[in-house]
Amino acid sequence: MSPWAQTRRSLLRNSGLALGGMYLSEQATAQPRPLLPKQPSREAKAKAVIYLHMAGAPSQLDLFDWKPELVKYDGQDCPQHLLTGKRFAFIKGVPKMMGSPYRFAQHGQAGTWMSELLPELATVADDLTVIRSMNTDQFNHAPAQLLLHTGSPRFGGASMGAWATYGLGSENQDLPGFVVLVGGGNNPDGGKSLWGSGFLPSVYQGVQCRTEGDPVLFLSDPAGMDRALRRRSLDALRDLNALQQASAGDLETEARMSQYELAYRMQISVPGAMDISQEPPAVQRMYGAEPGQVSFANNCLLARRLVEKGVRFVQLYQWGWDHHGSNRREDIRLDLPEKARSIDRPMAALIQDLKQRGMLDSTLVVWGGEFGRTPMRENRGGNYGAFVGRDHHPHAFTMWVAGGGMKAGINYGLTDDIGYYAAKDPVSVRDLQATVLHCLGLDPFQLSYPSLGLNQRLIGPTDEAKVVRGLLS
Amino acid sequence: MIYDARGLKSGFILVLYSWVAFGAPPVDYQRDIQPILAKRCFACHGPDEHARQANLRLDSREDATGKTGGLAGIIPGNSAESRVVARITAAKRPMPPTGEPLSSREAALVRAWIEQGAVYQKHWSLEAPVRSELPAVRQGTWPRNEIDRFVLARLEQEGRQPSGAASAYVLARRVAMDLTGLPPEPAAVAAFAREGSEKAYERLVDSLLASPHYGERWARVWLDLARYADSQGYEKDRVRHIWPYRDWVVRALNENMPFDRFTVRQLAGDLLPNATQSDLIATAFHRNTMTNTEGGSDDEEFRDAAIKDRVATTGQVWMGMTWGCAQCHTHKYDPLSHREFFQLYAFFNQTEDSDKEDERPVLPLGNFSMPIMRELPLDKQRRTRRQVRGSFLNPGEDVQPGVPAAFPPLPAGAPANRLGLAQWLVDSRNPLTARVLANRLWARLFGRGLVDTEEDFGSQGNRPSHPELLDWLATEVHRTKWDLKAVLKTMVMSATYRQSSDVTPADRERDPGNVLLARGPRFRLEAEMVRDQALAVSGLLSQKMGGPPVMPWQPEGIWNVVYNTERWLPSPGEDRYRRSLYTFLRRSSPYPMLTTYDAPAGLTCTLRRIRTNTPLQALAAMNDPVLMEAAQHLALRAMAEPSETESARAAWLFRRVLVRPPSEAETRRIVELRRQAEKELRQGRGSAPELLNYSEVLYAVDRTIALVANEGAERAQWRYALQSPGDGWKKQDFPDAGWLEGAGPFGYFERESDLQPETKWDVEQLWLRRSFTVKQGALTDLRLVVRSLGAFEAYLNGELAASTNLDRNGYYEYKVQGAAAKALKPGTNTLAIRALRIREKKEGQIFDASLLASRPLRLPPAASQDFAKASWVVVAHTILNLDEAFTRR
Repeated sequence: MSPWAQTRRSLLRNSGLALGGMYLSEQATAQPRPLLPKQPSREAKAKAVIYLHMAGAPSQLDLFDWKPELVKYDGQDCPQHLLTGKRFAFIKGVPKMMGSPYRFAQHGQAGTWMSELLPELATVADDLTVIRSMNTDQFNHAPAQLLLHTGSPRFGGASMGAWATYGLGSENQDLPGFVVLVGGGNNPDGGKSLWGSGFLPSVYQGVQCRTEGDPVLFLSDPAGMDRALRRRSLDALRDLNALQQASAGDLETEARMSQYELAYRMQISVPGAMDISQEPPAVQRMYGAEPGQVSFANNCLLARRLVEKGVRFVQLYQWGWDHHGSNRREDIRLDLPEKARSIDRPMAALIQDLKQRGMLDSTLVVWGGEFGRTPMRENRGGNYGAFVGRDHHPHAFTMWVAGGGMKAGINYGLTDDIGYYAAKDPVSVRDLQATVLHCLGLDPFQLSYPSLGLNQRLIGPTDEAKVVRGLLS
Repeated sequence: MIYDARGLKSGFILVLYSWVAFGAPPVDYQRDIQPILAKRCFACHGPDEHARQANLRLDSREDATGKTGGLAGIIPGNSAESRVVARITAAKRPMPPTGEPLSSREAALVRAWIEQGAVYQKHWSLEAPVRSELPAVRQGTWPRNEIDRFVLARLEQEGRQPSGAASAYVLARRVAMDLTGLPPEPAAVAAFAREGSEKAYERLVDSLLASPHYGERWARVWLDLARYADSQGYEKDRVRHIWPYRDWVVRALNENMPFDRFTVRQLAGDLLPNATQSDLIATAFHRNTMTNTEGGSDDEEFRDAAIKDRVATTGQVWMGMTWGCAQCHTHKYDPLSHREFFQLYAFFNQTEDSDKEDERPVLPLGNFSMPIMRELPLDKQRRTRRQVRGSFLNPGEDVQPGVPAAFPPLPAGAPANRLGLAQWLVDSRNPLTARVLANRLWARLFGRGLVDTEEDFGSQGNRPSHPELLDWLATEVHRTKWDLKAVLKTMVMSATYRQSSDVTPADRERDPGNVLLARGPRFRLEAEMVRDQALAVSGLLSQKMGGPPVMPWQPEGIWNVVYNTERWLPSPGEDRYRRSLYTFLRRSSPYPMLTTYDAPAGLTCTLRRIRTNTPLQALAAMNDPVLMEAAQHLALRAMAEPSETESARAAWLFRRVLVRPPSEAETRRIVELRRQAEKELRQGRGSAPELLNYSEVLYAVDRTIALVANEGAERAQWRYALQSPGDGWKKQDFPDAGWLEGAGPFGYFERESDLQPETKWDVEQLWLRRSFTVKQGALTDLRLVVRSLGAFEAYLNGELAASTNLDRNGYYEYKVQGAAAKALKPGTNTLAIRALRIREKKEGQIFDASLLASRPLRLPPAASQDFAKASWVVVAHTILNLDEAFTRR
């Protein structure tokens, strides 16, 4: 049941109105503050989500999914049965199998396997829930990212963060409920649609906080204006609008005026919230954050600040994980260690920091890419060059989640000996979406919005998704 | 007759309820039963056989009564024996299994309907529209035309009164905004207000319909449906030159091309005998689907996605049908089987385009070509097969082109291709096209359609609030032979349209959504109108029509898309101030101010924009420099007016924006603001010189000078080396006299490229040096603009200016800061660069660079009279921000 429909239904019952038509859009506009916090429909473990998306799809086989068997086959031709009927982005003909060049070790009580590329994350292994059996049905970046974030591989769907704020509102009315932080200067392949509101009212779309210029678009006063002038202007605006409302009687006038006042407050509150230099130096060091720079570390620290201030959903993007091996920057041996280093310490710090503040239980952290990478070495155009990489692989990949109602320190699901398929307890992208909504206290099967003749849901039109009980605490 | 009253707080449903309770209600399937079944039952007991439960089907009488072999859920005349009744009223696990049980009123309706014989009717929108008799009304003097008879009859039935007429000012602004998307010309308003007659209003309407801005306004409505954009979409989102199609739409609307021809040309212009170039351009309607050039994507997968989009969009735009729902399975609610979806698919499946990077087939137009439609020759036509569960990897049986069985067949003699389909859509027997069109025109004028769910005329959509009026309008569309201007004129000439939109709390409470039309429409302006209005009233708006899309000012850093780094630079001259229709629309990075105000990004067909009201809109209104710039120019205009007093100037400004004169209280408050603002400015709050010279402040691009140019007469000759010149090459005094000389771009391409290298570079590394002279001091915003396919490092006088190891496929701007920026000095300077390819040598390589800086902005210090002048800018900005300025009242 969508939260709007809930209120509408009781309204209809109480006023004896006619058969329920859908006036959701009307309500979304007439409702002066659609982001006010709402009660979840069931018990919620997580109040907020920090989603760390690794755009480009990191190699699970070189970070989490340890496959000694694959190392044995390294350099041998890929068996035909793994190629027949499969579609690859770039692999042609018969590629060679490729073992990981990295050392793996077990960490924590749970004995979680991780490669040497993630030494800091290994120290918090027992706070993580590692899912090795993720799978998707898309093998190109943009569609796979869209499927993961919006439930549809095509454009037009509503993103997970939009669904969360639609279902739950936001705890802080002076900040956006759904904040997006993009690291490294490039947007991910799926573009702004990954945090769009799709068919949901645009008030639920993610607000991209930028690291250059205004942190939120149009936040600062234009040249020549200042706070005092602005206040004078807003006061006059309020009085003049009130005169108009008195004669015209439009409630929207009042709603718009309250938005101006909120915007005025945001001009102060957002730069404050975004200013990580307000954090003690020890905390900055813990993350490896450097105020003024664009970095994943800064964004992780910022994410914690925002959640602390009541933001519902923080989505981080880190770019550059598409290690095909067609050049140096896409090389598993030369570039992957650098990428891993850029996220290792910040991720570990985020978990520790949330934990020591008592926030981890109510904050769900999710990490992962849009698909995985092949156990075979990519042979673009049918031959091998100087660099080493792996192609896109939808059948199995690794993600981890932490806090917010997840069972800490477990390893969920397995892949086969060479990491080709999810062999035990497979978790689809839709399952993950269902589970995230569940942790937020929302019913993934009932949370819906009518559009284009369907009750649209994050988990898609069919009921194939399931809440993965084995992940829950 | 009582129709749908959803959203209405009126008493008649209670009356209906008591009818039911007393056992003698005339139950109407369409009105009372179908909505219950559609919402609560059809998902499992509807047309979709795969979803069907318990072998029970309830969407037709034959099926529901067991005549077709399924379970008999309904025994007509005998509700007590009907299983459906037993199941919906069961104490334990009642149907439906999800959600709350049916209310007792709903259950009573179903029971009564079965008692009365369980009579089914076809869904209302599948029956052809009927032009009914004009209803009798008591208030015979109010109606001005037929529309008003229907509206008034309904109001009288409800015991309501229409509102009085809007003032001449309000009406002039309303009708001008609606028909042209721009505020009315002051002279036209003055003439209309002076005369105030029916004739004067009609003259105003006629002149607006004849204005070229009419086509621009209504083209925007159409382009939302066409999911028009200036880029290909998906990952790379490359620029697409498809704007001649946009201009075709503007022209066709301005020429008032009948909608049937408008339809046929866009869907099948290429199949017309003797198709002209203009007919081919029109076919780009369905080439606005996205093209995926992401490496490794399967072209067939995205060709298939585009065809499905075309089927869904066609159903939405012309028939208000959600055909897209049937691509995986038979439609759960409406009469469209899975097989029929693919029969529709078959119409579109024979075009040449196939998600190729070059977007062929294209129409060459001078120095570019645009994607168009072309049919495959007969011997190359594709086989169309049903796709099991909608997956193109899982083909089922063959299907032939055909229209859904619930509708009339293809017109006699119509071919079974896109042309025939287009003719079918605009055939007079098609029950939906004219209704959907009339409803769309109505919705744009009245803020909501007679069918509120413009995108769904099927069983899940809302029923029309005024069914006879909708049908009358649909038959009017047919009678005028698809004359859009004539139908619009009839609408805006009605008394219904001309009502005041002011509302009392009591009336608002009774009908918050104004479903009954007892008052004039009032709603927020569309995004484009917000911006265009500001440009128009400030005198900035360019009158230029058509041509390539333009780039008005937008914040930096919006266009950082993977792989695609063409820069957004404000267009020169008046192109900065073109109507928003002409703003470059890149799907992955649409113009922020417009999306903030709910303009779509061209990703999917948008039937109606959902209007929202957010703090981000307030931020954009307060702080978007475009509005501030308009305020500056508006204030300057006000000061050029010969106004006697401060109040007169305030009133001029107010009227310029809102058309109506201000009240005394409003004038007083504006004057107060002006005095306050002047006082603040005198005390050093804000900056009078910046406010008065805002455009100069904003367009730093106009102060750009190229220190090292890569184009034009000033194009730099570089010293370059292809082998390591040894240490010290970064330093300013490094001897480079022996190096080679050449101009950029450097590189080579094996494939076709948009950029041709000037000097060949095909080895791994390239060293470049260029000395230049700085005459002026105090340059700011030093930046290096580079296009490379690999890594590079650049040094200015020996200091690191910029570097990257990302291969960015396009020009990208690197800010030069810190020590390198400080190293720039008057006299001779040297830029030294090393470029490195990181891709394997396959498709080629490229390097090109320019070094840019801005001349400093020198504003005069504030003179004493400037504070008063600048305070008018604050006033103008405040007036542009008034709620009324954002409202179409």
